[in-house]
Amino acid sequence: MFSYEKKLQYPVKIKNPNPKLAKIILTQYGGPDGELGASLRYLSQRYSMPFDELKGLLTDIGTEELGHLEMIGAIVHQLTRNLKENQMKDPAFAPYFVDHTAGIYPASAAGTPWSAATMQVKGDPITDLVEDMAAEQKARTTYDNILRISDDPDVNDVIKFLREREVVHFQRFGEAVQLLRDKLNQKNVYYMNPAIDI
Amino acid sequence: MQQKKREIPTGMGKLPAVAPLANPYVPFQMDNPEQYEANLGLVRGTLYPGLDLPFMGMVNKKPLAKTPMADLQALGFAIQELALYLDTHRDDAEALELYRRYQQLLHDQRQEYVRKCGPLSHRDRTASPEYAWLNDPWPWEYCVNQED
Repeated sequence: MFSYEKKLQYPVKIKNPNPKLAKIILTQYGGPDGELGASLRYLSQRYSMPFDELKGLLTDIGTEELGHLEMIGAIVHQLTRNLKENQMKDPAFAPYFVDHTAGIYPASAAGTPWSAATMQVKGDPITDLVEDMAAEQKARTTYDNILRISDDPDVNDVIKFLREREVVHFQRFGEAVQLLRDKLNQKNVYYMNPAIDI
Repeated sequence: MQQKKREIPTGMGKLPAVAPLANPYVPFQMDNPEQYEANLGLVRGTLYPGLDLPFMGMVNKKPLAKTPMADLQALGFAIQELALYLDTHRDDAEALELYRRYQQLLHDQRQEYVRKCGPLSHRDRTASPEYAWLNDPWPWEYCVNQED
């Protein structure tokens, strides 16, 4: 089961509200390569993993991603507090404001609501782990792009932390593929699907 | 925490000399890798200098303000990072030993935090006569993390 800890993984303290930037950061909440998709991807893929290292790794990274979702929510919340009238009317933020006010809604920076179509659970361990490696790289690039766009040091401090986590997760998923491969037919690791054939 | 001389430099890992085609390979991180201490690890986003690969030299340098919460976050982070490492290096006895040491430190720090600042989860017993769980601030609120 899951139980809540009343703390963030890493502190979020954003001095200056900036709803324009909030809309950009929101993409890591509910965008195509965001933390919601990451956590659901790993926590859903783990059921068909055949070996204990893989079950453990997907559980541990999936759980950490839920903590990252909370951190992104905290950034967006703090960037949209105490809104002034001109900030509500800003053409970059008004379309979000009219639908969600200053609430946190899982959508991409362009406003597309979060969709399970941005992730996959294929039920084949190599396939799923390779998707996970790609997912970590896509999230890393998104954080790189945020660092290019944002000049708020309080935001970037947190984004640098989250970006580095993607690098570490990529490493662990890569190692997980090797651990899996060691347990499969060495001549042909694609001989069968270890999720259902062993 | 202690560092030994290594033949393979930090940031380099192990690949098979000969390996089947049409497979993805990420070098395996070597056992007992060089580490940052917990506070620096949290600031950098990893406990491992070998995996610390920032974008365009943008690096967090400032240590976190010394608060009971920051100590808790640093210890919790070290355990999470070691857990992911152990998930793929279950036989690294030194990493396991370090993981256990951080567990003990977190256990003590957590008890002190709960006593001073209130519950972190519904399972924490506090001396307070009231239902302290609801007390503001919540983790996502701006004031909670302000330096005192």
